[in-house]
Amino acid sequence: MPADYDKGAYPEPPRQTPVVDKQTALPNPALILSKLFYYSVDLPVTTFRDAVDSIRAKNKIVYYHQKFRRVPDLTECKEGDYPCYYEAEMQWRRDYKVDQEIVKVIQERLRACQQREGHSYQQNCAKEIQQFNEVTKNFQSRYGDLGAYASARKCLMKQKERMMAAQAQNA
Amino acid sequence: MVGTSVLRSVAAFAARLSPLKSGNTAANLLTRAIPRTDKVVVRWGHGKRLFVIKPSDYYDRRFLRLLQFYILLTGVPVAIVVTGVNIFIGEAELAEIPEGYEPEHWEYYKHPITRWITRNIYDSPVKDYEKMMAAIQIEKEKADMRLTQLEVRRHMRQQGDGPWFQVPTLNKELIDNSPKSSPDH
Repeated sequence: MPADYDKGAYPEPPRQTPVVDKQTALPNPALILSKLFYYSVDLPVTTFRDAVDSIRAKNKIVYYHQKFRRVPDLTECKEGDYPCYYEAEMQWRRDYKVDQEIVKVIQERLRACQQREGHSYQQNCAKEIQQFNEVTKNFQSRYGDLGAYASARKCLMKQKERMMAAQAQNA
Repeated sequence: MVGTSVLRSVAAFAARLSPLKSGNTAANLLTRAIPRTDKVVVRWGHGKRLFVIKPSDYYDRRFLRLLQFYILLTGVPVAIVVTGVNIFIGEAELAEIPEGYEPEHWEYYKHPITRWITRNIYDSPVKDYEKMMAAIQIEKEKADMRLTQLEVRRHMRQQGDGPWFQVPTLNKELIDNSPKSSPDH
């Protein structure tokens, strides 16, 4: 079976299984339906999965996450050195993808928290909300309106504009 | 066997082969050929039995039949292969890169068919990267050479002491200077 998710980031709510206090002789329809579901759907699916897993266990293969070396940035390239530009561009693209995935993970955590807490999410998920706001604000300021043809150069120019604005504001 | 359908002629042939079987006598075969339409019990249920006249749907049905055939011709083997791969080999599991081990480029993908494709058909991403960098380097050198050529042109045109922009003129040795040698000729 695939590895379980991070229990720290997505804490399970406390179990609220009530104590069985049957006061009637009538059968419990919820119990009947759950047993029905178990025997008609859950059991066949689990046995199929176990069978396929036992077949697959003989030919196990693994895959890895590739680790890329850091190359000189666009700011560290000499002017006119196009291969250096290309490497910096590729590194920036990989970093852009990684940042997009980071934002997606933070969004997923906020969504899970809201689902868990229900109507009291605004006070119980304050940490997730603050984290989400911070991460999205930073993402917007760095990669915000670069558009579909975003490149390392355009991002660098945006950073320059930001620094100029900050300097103008300080002065 | 005049005026009989294929089935009836086959039945007659079968009757020839085994003439003693019941139901295979000539009387039976001949009576089978001429049913009495007014005395026959026709069970059509309710509603009038109609002879519907409509245009031929042979070509439409033939098209759909051929479409089905050609789609399934490659579709079924592909489906069998993909199902077999998913059941017998299955997707890869994520693992940490062991110390001192450099994974092959196809070991970075999850599905076994993707791994096969990147292993046997595609070039490795490292090779693609290097190819792109080589192309960029060649273009850079071409651009630099073109710029220097323009620079050299400019210099040669201005200074005039280079090999370019030489205009061929008459050979000075061919000029006959004898009429010009004495002043008052």
